[in-house]
Amino acid sequence: MGLSGMAATLGQEYAAFKRELDSKGIIFSFSGYLSEGILFSLGEALREKMTLEDADGPTVRRVFSVFVEQMQNIIRYSAEKIVASDGRSIELSAGMVTIGMEGGKFFIVCGNTVRNGDVPRLRERLDFLKALDKDGIKAHYREQLREAPDEGSRGATIGLIEIARRASEPIEYDFAATDTDKSFFCLKVRI
Amino acid sequence: MASERMTIPATPRTPEIDFDFASGRLALRGESYPDDVATLFGPVVAALREHLAEPSDAPLHVDIELVYFNSSSAKVLMTIFQLLEEAARQGRPVTVDWYCDPDDETMREFGEDFSEDLEHVTFSVREAADRDP
Repeated sequence: MGLSGMAATLGQEYAAFKRELDSKGIIFSFSGYLSEGILFSLGEALREKMTLEDADGPTVRRVFSVFVEQMQNIIRYSAEKIVASDGRSIELSAGMVTIGMEGGKFFIVCGNTVRNGDVPRLRERLDFLKALDKDGIKAHYREQLREAPDEGSRGATIGLIEIARRASEPIEYDFAATDTDKSFFCLKVRI
Repeated sequence: MASERMTIPATPRTPEIDFDFASGRLALRGESYPDDVATLFGPVVAALREHLAEPSDAPLHVDIELVYFNSSSAKVLMTIFQLLEEAARQGRPVTVDWYCDPDDETMREFGEDFSEDLEHVTFSVREAADRDP
């Protein structure tokens, strides 16, 4: 983020970066390779932090649930992924997760790279969910719960419905094309 | 020969699984957001399927005391309930106690999501305080 004119010192540069995060109400933000291990550790920290701040039980559970589903979507579907070559079940997937508070509400934003070819289907699912009201989301969840697993989806359909169900406002999402075959996808959920 | 009992201890992100087929008591307790749902639950569901394949009229009781479960675990729970419903439809008495904290509206609603089309299984939502000692 450098200051204009003269070069910022290391301290100034990172203090400014930190102030920028704080000004957006960010509690924590992680960018880089995500794994199931990181999901677990960040999730524990999130629960502890919210509990210490006296967030009520139902809110802690809703935020945690959205966090887990968002993280697992990145781990499974990020288009930038490293999988262990010896077949071990290790997945490192590039992405970012940000949790914060604005206007008295918790929000979670997740971002990751997706293939442009996957964008229309994902956008269609999200548009569909966004248009549903609370009862519609609940009915759709029940319907998908009874569907046989969608081969290759590894559960994304029901995961996205779970996210929409815990949100207190309609979900927000966007796709920003980064090059000819990839886009940056982000999804913001307010609890 | 189907296994008599399948037990898997809890971890911070996976539930205690105790499927005691011999005594007709099955239980899931704790958290459920495993890194790989198929590795954890695949053998458990297979054991249940195998057990239920043998006709029996011995009562089966299931306690579900989950604090949190992710959406992939929800799909597994639905599979388990569908297997139980089929056994109950064929005449086996099956009861399910679904525990939730008094302030946990989400877990209570999940109980309704799962029980909606159970006709032969007796499904009860219970508050965690009612748990048998």
